[in-house]
Amino acid sequence: MIPQAVLDEWYPVGMAAQVGPPPGRETMLLGQPITLFRDSAGIRVTGPDGDLAVTVAYGHVWACLGTPAHALFPIPEATQEGRRLVDCGVVRVKCSPLRAVENFLDIAHFPFVHTDILGAEPHTEVARYEVQIREDSDEVWATKVHFYQPQAAKSAEGGIVTEYMYRVPAPTASVLYKTCPARAGEWDVIGIFVQPLTEELCDVWPWMALFDDETPMADLIQFQQMIFLQDRSILENQIPRLLPLDPGMEIPTQADLTSVAYRRWLKRKGLTYGAQMVAA
Amino acid sequence: MGTEWVAVGLSRDLPAGVAMPALWQGRELAVWRSASGKLSAWNDRCPHRGMRLSHGFVRGETLACIYHGWVYGTSGSCIHIPAHPDLVPPATIKAETFLCVEAGGVIWVGAAGATDTPPEFAGYVPLRSVATQADAAALAQASGLEQAAQGLLGSTAAGGVCLILSTSQTKTTIHALAAKEADRVALSRWLDGVVRRAEERVLA
Repeated sequence: MIPQAVLDEWYPVGMAAQVGPPPGRETMLLGQPITLFRDSAGIRVTGPDGDLAVTVAYGHVWACLGTPAHALFPIPEATQEGRRLVDCGVVRVKCSPLRAVENFLDIAHFPFVHTDILGAEPHTEVARYEVQIREDSDEVWATKVHFYQPQAAKSAEGGIVTEYMYRVPAPTASVLYKTCPARAGEWDVIGIFVQPLTEELCDVWPWMALFDDETPMADLIQFQQMIFLQDRSILENQIPRLLPLDPGMEIPTQADLTSVAYRRWLKRKGLTYGAQMVAA
Repeated sequence: MGTEWVAVGLSRDLPAGVAMPALWQGRELAVWRSASGKLSAWNDRCPHRGMRLSHGFVRGETLACIYHGWVYGTSGSCIHIPAHPDLVPPATIKAETFLCVEAGGVIWVGAAGATDTPPEFAGYVPLRSVATQADAAALAQASGLEQAAQGLLGSTAAGGVCLILSTSQTKTTIHALAAKEADRVALSRWLDGVVRRAEERVLA
């Protein structure tokens, strides 16, 4: 049985620009077969029991199998003038959708998984940062995260100390804000929208809102695809595949405070699809 | 009851500085050899975030997890966490360890604390390892060899052979040993034929 709280959330199910006329795109959401297509009414998503609630935002189609508990989370930067919005396509990963989000929140792996791009030895230390579960917006936030990066973005030249902020506004989505190499004082915005196909299989849809008018679109997409393919080599080799929510199965450190808060938030809200509740 | 020793590979296939995955009684293990040659077999799971340690990298006498670079010494204890370079890791952060020894050019894994020793095959030397979907019964039938404690034993036109079998649910790993006087090239070809016939039987 899938908990009602899980069914009542929004999940990404595809890129809006790719949705065509019937028969459309067949895919899955929370183990159920669904179909996306475009007709005179706009973009529709149908499941075994008929039409699903649909929202189109941030280049992607979002659907809810139950009754939406709230509107889709806001990303104000999506409409900020001067930003380039980039749909990065999809990476299918054989892992829990929650593990895919947790990996996105993690910076300590940069020197080892994204070597010489997002991190490099000996610059491995993760300084203390701030984490909170914001009660007003019901989101997990990490702020004042600093990390040395050899090539923080496609537009970066040489190493810089990058500042990050992370937020988790939905169980399988995260948005990060990082130092913008091209425009001081602004943040580049990168999201990952994770489609839970099953508890152990997901489609990851990265999306970006950048201040970068120079880099060709294909290069921006290629850069993000490279990063996520490196992550996939990790995500498909974690044991167990499900994300353990009970303490004892895994050992976090101070660098993992965002992940600790994310797990606590999921558990508190009963968002346990893709999670393991009892230590095996 | 004696320890269930399981052959996980041939010594020459695991050089210094390398880690590899292995199966032991349904458990997934990471087996690795340090720069000085010391062998270790651990649960294939970093206690931090569950990443397979067999994907890790060996530096000197340590194995580091590929995910966050946590460094483990040959005792299995974590000795360095790169995200917190000044922290002395608590003793509770430790990989689960198994016994791992070499005998006659074969790497054996047994339960921690075992007091007996792995079997030895006097007069035989390692030939090569082969993985197959065929099970032990199909291999016995296809080879015509006799059942022995750790696998199959007997003689062929190319000379004496011993097939040590390690089985899991979906595959069998054959560690083939050749009698010292056997024709190694002919025996290797004979082994290919055995595996092919056994697989044909499984797939039929």
